[in-house]
Amino acid sequence: MNLTSLSMTEAADAVARGETTSAALLEACLARIGAHDGQVNTVIRLDADAARLSAHGVDRARTDGHALPPLAGVPMMHKDMYYREGRVSTCGSHIRRNFVPTKTATVLKRLDAAGAVDMGTLNMAEFAQNPTGHNRHFGDCHNPFGLEYCTGGSSSGSGAGVAARFFFAALGSDTGGSIRLPASLCGVTGLKATQTRVPRTGVMPLSFSADNVGPLVRTARDAARFLTITAGQCPGDPTSAPEPVPDYEAALTGHVKGLRIAVVEDWFFDGIDAEVARAFDAAMDVLRALGATVTRVAVPEMAAVATYTALVSRSEGSAIHANWMRECPADYAMHLSARIYGGYAMPATLYLEALSRRGPLLRAFCERALGAYDLVATPTLRTRVPTLAETDIDANPENWTRFMAVSANTRPFNYLGLPTISIPCGADSGGLPIGLQLAGRPFAEARVLNAADAFQQATDWHRREPAL
Amino acid sequence: MSEPRLVIPAMEAIRLWQGVAVPNSAARIGLAELEGLIAALEKLRGSMVFEDEPSSFEAALRDCMEQRP
Repeated sequence: MNLTSLSMTEAADAVARGETTSAALLEACLARIGAHDGQVNTVIRLDADAARLSAHGVDRARTDGHALPPLAGVPMMHKDMYYREGRVSTCGSHIRRNFVPTKTATVLKRLDAAGAVDMGTLNMAEFAQNPTGHNRHFGDCHNPFGLEYCTGGSSSGSGAGVAARFFFAALGSDTGGSIRLPASLCGVTGLKATQTRVPRTGVMPLSFSADNVGPLVRTARDAARFLTITAGQCPGDPTSAPEPVPDYEAALTGHVKGLRIAVVEDWFFDGIDAEVARAFDAAMDVLRALGATVTRVAVPEMAAVATYTALVSRSEGSAIHANWMRECPADYAMHLSARIYGGYAMPATLYLEALSRRGPLLRAFCERALGAYDLVATPTLRTRVPTLAETDIDANPENWTRFMAVSANTRPFNYLGLPTISIPCGADSGGLPIGLQLAGRPFAEARVLNAADAFQQATDWHRREPAL
Repeated sequence: MSEPRLVIPAMEAIRLWQGVAVPNSAARIGLAELEGLIAALEKLRGSMVFEDEPSSFEAALRDCMEQRP
């Protein structure tokens, strides 16, 4: 058994059945990080000794005959913006290089209770504010499928590390695509749940209206188990939803017969690369062969959704950074201070207009795209995976347009608040992954996950490993 | 390519309202790119109106959930 090739659920179940040990999983992960992270650059802080203590605790509990929780013994690492009391959380920045939080994120507490082994923290875009994976302070993260290519951001280390088989799961965060983009670009699975589904207590904020917490993992089944553990209302986050949390993994049927998929013609295919379009069409053929129907629909409101999306996230992201932008602007990377600066030019009246239209536009989108259909499908990224060089604003500010275009297809679902997953559905001629995005109605994560799981049972794109 | 007219007045407004100075040359390009956003907002004028009744996004999320059988 090649331990690092297992999915998160396969690893957890193997430990529970006694087919391997948590210590063996952990040592396999540490060896792989030691061999390859010099190339990929995912790790900010490795807590190997603490992880070994946790792993041995799980193994001892099993040999003592105790029942194990659902993620017992599974090594994970997380984006360095999930606070753990007493441990530095850099948020990928120079400004917070010594920031020590006084509380632990709710999602970390829930993962701890589920038995996960926390190995440390991961590289990320500075303050989670770029879609590419560049980081001036900790070095750029590199795509394991092609080291000169972007990982996608902002959860760059999470996507690259899961793809490189350094660990079995990682928390990312998603305000404009920061889970789904690295999932797509690195060939893994990433889930952004419904806005308010997963509590954000103890998580660095970027945009309170659009921030989401979620996993980067190998399979939809992994994402289902992860969401079941992390979702649900938390008193520390008054914005978290009270809706009951089902067992998403138990709801997976592997079947999509009769599923109605809408392909929204507006916006999502503008300027699409031919290779991405072919992979998307092939993915639709797979779902049709499984019994789904695929229908093209028009949603003329997409222009408004895309426009207001940009207003909300950039205005809120800039507001949070105003003091530092006055006091220490040179401590930011050029691309980030430039991005934050633009947010200050946006009038408050337009920001409020964008917020006031959010509910009506959600209703309009659901009526047109999800009224007679169950899911919406789009490519996650319209283009082939860009290189780090062609999206590096610090090296050449003229790369701005290419840089900002990366998140064009993911951002609208943050504004709409809909549950959305990205799964691998192909590879371009250079071997870089291509992602398929599936979105459902609010709180319809079970339906989204079920379609993604059925697709993965019929394909093996999610099993493809990079040759490091 | 010449810099759009909005850049200098926007820089002055940001300094006046926020006390933030332009941090680098890329920030000027970022401001210039806002021309596209402004053009998109111009196209929306007249098509978007405020709702008269109180509402919230969270309520819209609940309203748009799948109907349970």
